[in-house]
Amino acid sequence: MKLNSFRKKSPWILHYNAGSCNGCDIEILACLAPKYDIERFGIINTGNPKQSDVLLVTGPVTKRSRERLVEIYAQMPEPKVVVSCGACACTGGVFRGMYNCEGGIDQYIPVDVYVCGCGSRPEQIIDGVIEALAILEKKTKDLEQSIRLKKEPVKEDTQLNRRDIAAEIKEIA
Amino acid sequence: MNRIETSIDKVKDDIRNFYKPDLYHFVVINAVDLGEKIEVQWFFCEYANPSNIIAFCVQINPDEEIPSIRDIVESSWVAEAELVDLMNIKIQNTAKGFVLEPDFESGPLRKKK
Amino acid sequence: MGKQYEIPLGAQHISLLEPLHFKFTTENEKIVDTVANVYYVHRGIEQACCSKFKFRQVSFVVGRVCGLCSVSHTTAYSQVAEKLIKIEVPRRAKYLRMLVIELDRIHSHLLCLSHVAENSGFEALFMKTMQYREFAMELLEAVCGNRIQYDFSIVGGVARDLKPEVGKMILERLKIFKPQLDELVDIYQNNWTLSLKNKGVGLITKEDALRLNVVGPFARATGLAADVRNEYDDLLPWKEVGFEMVLDKAGDVHARNMVRLRELYVSMRIIENIINGLPESALVTETKTFPDGEAVARLEAPRGELFYYAKGNKTQILERLKIKAPTFSNIPAMVEAFKGNEYGSAPAIIASYDPCLSCTSR
Repeated sequence: MKLNSFRKKSPWILHYNAGSCNGCDIEILACLAPKYDIERFGIINTGNPKQSDVLLVTGPVTKRSRERLVEIYAQMPEPKVVVSCGACACTGGVFRGMYNCEGGIDQYIPVDVYVCGCGSRPEQIIDGVIEALAILEKKTKDLEQSIRLKKEPVKEDTQLNRRDIAAEIKEIA
Repeated sequence: MNRIETSIDKVKDDIRNFYKPDLYHFVVINAVDLGEKIEVQWFFCEYANPSNIIAFCVQINPDEEIPSIRDIVESSWVAEAELVDLMNIKIQNTAKGFVLEPDFESGPLRKKK
Repeated sequence: MGKQYEIPLGAQHISLLEPLHFKFTTENEKIVDTVANVYYVHRGIEQACCSKFKFRQVSFVVGRVCGLCSVSHTTAYSQVAEKLIKIEVPRRAKYLRMLVIELDRIHSHLLCLSHVAENSGFEALFMKTMQYREFAMELLEAVCGNRIQYDFSIVGGVARDLKPEVGKMILERLKIFKPQLDELVDIYQNNWTLSLKNKGVGLITKEDALRLNVVGPFARATGLAADVRNEYDDLLPWKEVGFEMVLDKAGDVHARNMVRLRELYVSMRIIENIINGLPESALVTETKTFPDGEAVARLEAPRGELFYYAKGNKTQILERLKIKAPTFSNIPAMVEAFKGNEYGSAPAIIASYDPCLSCTSR
């Protein structure tokens, strides 16, 4: 029970660069520095996916980094939230349609918060992470709820009969 | 930019006679698709006079193998590996897969016919 | 011969800003061999510049090659495109380009220094350097309108003028920064703990640097005088504004730190000279010709020599654009300089190279 209250007060972030131009990455680094000081929210940067709660991703997904992105996401324990930083992480941005790029990270992993801008300002990134914390809390509550499987009786049969929609078979003369 | 036109057989000897590690600085190998042929350019630059850029230019057919200059200029392996993947040409002793994934169709910088 | 182990580092690692994979073969903690995989960030910008975008739009696309030295990329592309369409840039635009390149160099070098400190295990110095770096970001925002990705140089000139009050603000901030830089030099030079981690580590000699064609601060730390700003006056007049070559002899991590720190003094002097002697002229040269022929341009980015090759065919879309980034030239030497060092100091060595892989792989 205690773990949950701690998680809210001190979420650990994991940063992965999936092909970005380094612009958003240095802004994330600037967030850790004294001027913006993201640590006042208890947030620290960690390199280990197994200890982190928030995944910060930058960059359109390149073909070589997509498997690593999915792998890192899969290694993070539940509950977890994903924040996509920058225009190219959200939609592909200027790189959309280039031959070695996918358009945006939401084609591979579910994204909770989109932070726009090229590059995202540190204030925007902090805002996005704070928003992600609210989602993290909601996800934690959802996980804790006991689930009762309900089975409701079927009222009417809405399923199509395949034979009704099948094309007619013509006889070959 | 000073172009030195040469041929595929002679280019390696030309570079061997020309290149002195303490005088010249190897920049990059570039290739341009001219349609029928491909032009490969080896760029060098002088330390004492940086505006003097020398380019050895060779026109080859797409299926010809060009010599590797790795034994003359040791650091040229990155440029050669990149050229093999992006232009889909053959270079001596250079394998594919350094830049692009192995299952990717190589030669994205070649013109579509 | 002891038993050999292979230890991977990357693609995701706490000490790396970008995906980069090294496979170290170690023997009793000593690195004996290294394999690098650097093309995680390959996006295909060269192909898109020659097919999707018109040549005036390309200067905004190549800025996205790298967020750290985006103004170097846009300026180098603008120079090569100006050679293709045969126009001369106004004098004020040249000075403003140099101003933004030098401000960019200050923030980039301080970022690299802070990163070396963090990877050497000196967290407090990382925080201190990042705190002092913020003034450069604020000045860049005042001059260009954005903290990163400035889009300042365009084909034919620059996009914005420097307001007099912004110039005054830059001079005032530089005055505040100077004692802070002296403090940083003192710490990086004399701190005993940091020098244990940095002196004699990641060593490369001048002969190796010549043999492997190293560029940038990496080369200048070995004593090799390779700086494009030297003797290259036709595109940007560096000599006029007081450029001076900074060299060191040792060639280790500590020497690279000192080269970067001393270059900051040169950059500050250049910025002061530019603002005090900014010439009056137009900002952009207008023309309607299309690029034709082939041209090359070289520029000293914060990490070393940047090389652009472009070929035009009298249409809006270029025939070929080749970008050679500084780190691209340094990869063979990077792999070489690990040999004989302990695995524990590998992160600090990587940070001291100041690698920019989004430049390298484009």
